[in-house]
Amino acid sequence: MNDLPKQEETTLSFEKIKKDILHPLQNHKGLELWIVFLVTVIAVCGWAYIVQLRDGLGVTGMRDYVSWGLYIANFVFFVAVSLVGMLISSILGLLRIDWITPISRISEMIAVAFVAVSGLVIIMDMGRPDRVANVIIHGRFQSPILWDITVVTTYLMISLLLLILPMIPDLAICKNELKKASPIMKKIYNVLSLGYINTPSQHKHLHRMIKTLMVLIVPVGLAIHTVTSWLFAATLRNGWDTTIFGPYFVAGAFVAGAAALVMAMYFFRINYKLQDYITDVQFDYMGKLMVAVCLVYLYFNLNEFLVPGYKMKTGDDVHLKELFTGHWAVLFWCSQLLGNVIPIILLLMKKFRKPLPLMLISIFVLASAWIKRYVIVIPTLLHPHLPIQNVPENFVHYFPTGIEIAVTVLSFALALLIITVLAKIFPVVPICEIAEQRGIEVKIED
Amino acid sequence: MKNIYQLLTCLILILSLSNFTVQAEDWGVPSSAKKKHNPYDANVKNISSGKKIFNINCKTCHGDPGKGNMIHLVPISPTDIGSQDFLVQTDGEIYYKINKGNGAMPTFEKTLNDEHKWMVITYLRSFDKSNRRSEKLAEVKNPEVTDVKLDLEIQDSSKYILAHLTGMTKKGKRVGLHGIEMSFLVKRNFGYLDISREDAYTDDNGKVETVFPYDLPGDREGHVDLLVKLTDDAFYGNLEKSQIVSLGVPTIPVNPLDERAMWGTRANAPIWIMVSYIGGVFVIWGVIFFVLFQMIKIPRLAQNKE
Repeated sequence: MNDLPKQEETTLSFEKIKKDILHPLQNHKGLELWIVFLVTVIAVCGWAYIVQLRDGLGVTGMRDYVSWGLYIANFVFFVAVSLVGMLISSILGLLRIDWITPISRISEMIAVAFVAVSGLVIIMDMGRPDRVANVIIHGRFQSPILWDITVVTTYLMISLLLLILPMIPDLAICKNELKKASPIMKKIYNVLSLGYINTPSQHKHLHRMIKTLMVLIVPVGLAIHTVTSWLFAATLRNGWDTTIFGPYFVAGAFVAGAAALVMAMYFFRINYKLQDYITDVQFDYMGKLMVAVCLVYLYFNLNEFLVPGYKMKTGDDVHLKELFTGHWAVLFWCSQLLGNVIPIILLLMKKFRKPLPLMLISIFVLASAWIKRYVIVIPTLLHPHLPIQNVPENFVHYFPTGIEIAVTVLSFALALLIITVLAKIFPVVPICEIAEQRGIEVKIED
Repeated sequence: MKNIYQLLTCLILILSLSNFTVQAEDWGVPSSAKKKHNPYDANVKNISSGKKIFNINCKTCHGDPGKGNMIHLVPISPTDIGSQDFLVQTDGEIYYKINKGNGAMPTFEKTLNDEHKWMVITYLRSFDKSNRRSEKLAEVKNPEVTDVKLDLEIQDSSKYILAHLTGMTKKGKRVGLHGIEMSFLVKRNFGYLDISREDAYTDDNGKVETVFPYDLPGDREGHVDLLVKLTDDAFYGNLEKSQIVSLGVPTIPVNPLDERAMWGTRANAPIWIMVSYIGGVFVIWGVIFFVLFQMIKIPRLAQNKE
């Protein structure tokens, strides 16, 4: 498949790449239907959020003990998924691994969408979102919450730049090729392409900027999820009070992000008919990558549960028993087995690394990753150090209310809408980079 | 046959129930213990110190003697130990019960020393209507007085505090009241610190003194709130006198929020965390703005391509 095309076919091939990749942007009826569906979901679930704004957080299942519920679990999940941008386009990109070229933009789109919505999820968790600025105005440098807001914003900014900068050559192509685009879109292409015409000096300059950001996003990406873990680990609570929470969260994030990326890859491959670009090779490597990150995560899980489980010190014992054999056992073991152990075993076999099986496995991995966050956040809050006594019945248990579930669905719909809109207006596969990688000359008219 | 079973069941039920109540009631005081006698006199001093010990150790459950305001517990509430029903027991019996405890009543064998236990019994006996002897002994031998006054005399140099308790006799003569216990209290953060000497009873002139501790901190000027009061309000009511005295060691208060610490306010954040945060933000955003600035160059580079 990687046979180099003959010299006389090169111009034609570049035309073909352009055509293949740009075609779905303007001729995809299903995509518009999908956007309408997402907007409807957002409208319905947005009403649930308005109810929450009007009546306060009392409409949620959160009470004095479980004050971090579904929303915070969901926030951690969103931050985790967004880390895929750093893993694929930066870490693997800096290592000059070439199979990631066709999927790097999808991973950046996922990163931008999920990190943007993760910030919104935090605001959705606030009873008084109008006071969010107080975190900056009165924020204490010692508080992980100030750090978290900072890194989420920073990561969003760098991810956006890492989405747009490598896309500048493609945007120049869009400007020239997409004649049917609306005037607003033409203006956007025109402004964002920054007059790029692929001169050697432009090319060199652009790639130097991208390289700088790729290096910069590595510490920021590590910081975003480490700081998120500190929101928990900086408290003296059973199950949170552990030193490996930072790397544990980062490893878990790579698993969740890789699974989300596989699902997006599969969706675009089928819907955008990109079989020639997002090939079985990419899926095969993603399957292998998933085994690698799952193994790291499994190793951290072993440390996270085996070490305190061996000692069973007071406080931890109740928490761990509830996780292992008690109320949370089903969720806990589902997330560990379906999201970690079984995928590792299956993905060792080549036939499971084919697009469809890998995508199906990824659904389980991603769902398990979500459940895992839920199991990290809520059980700890239900096991405080001081005994729960003389409280109303609904303080003792936690189950998300319909409003909470609707607002969570809203966050997912928002993230999917952002990805869809990005994929509707921007080419999901980098045209110029693919061409360059295959030795085809890139021509951008002035 | 069936009737016999029913009868047996009933019997067992009744027996088990009665057994339960018996268990809770039955102290099983050995007759040798009953014969024990209180070695202490029923004088004012002993009754008063017994009351103090009672208020600390017994009152939470038993309430005030004779008032029936005990705590209500299941299956059996504590007895009103000032009631005549209780006080028919010998001193030895009460002593045994204080020592051993039963059910919800804890043992005080190791908590209180013998003297304290007997003091409590002495105090309880003062409620015993059949015990005339103790009542007589418990009487305060002061003349009947009106307009009871408590005066304080404080010597700053020697940190000496003298309380003078006087009353006006019918003849219009002011006399000192003796044998009354006085409490010298100093206000601290969460209540009062008792600085009374042991046996802080007024002498024949109605005087009692104490020495203010040399190491007790006061405010910046060494001021402390001193409260002197009659320990037992049974004699002259709740008589007390409070005064600000400058006997404490002048101390500049230390607010833990004033130092740089993780728990401090934002202005008092540890330097290293401020440097890390602000430095990190400046470096990262500096690079971001640098890249943004570099983007402007791209259109310019297109112009001078050839």
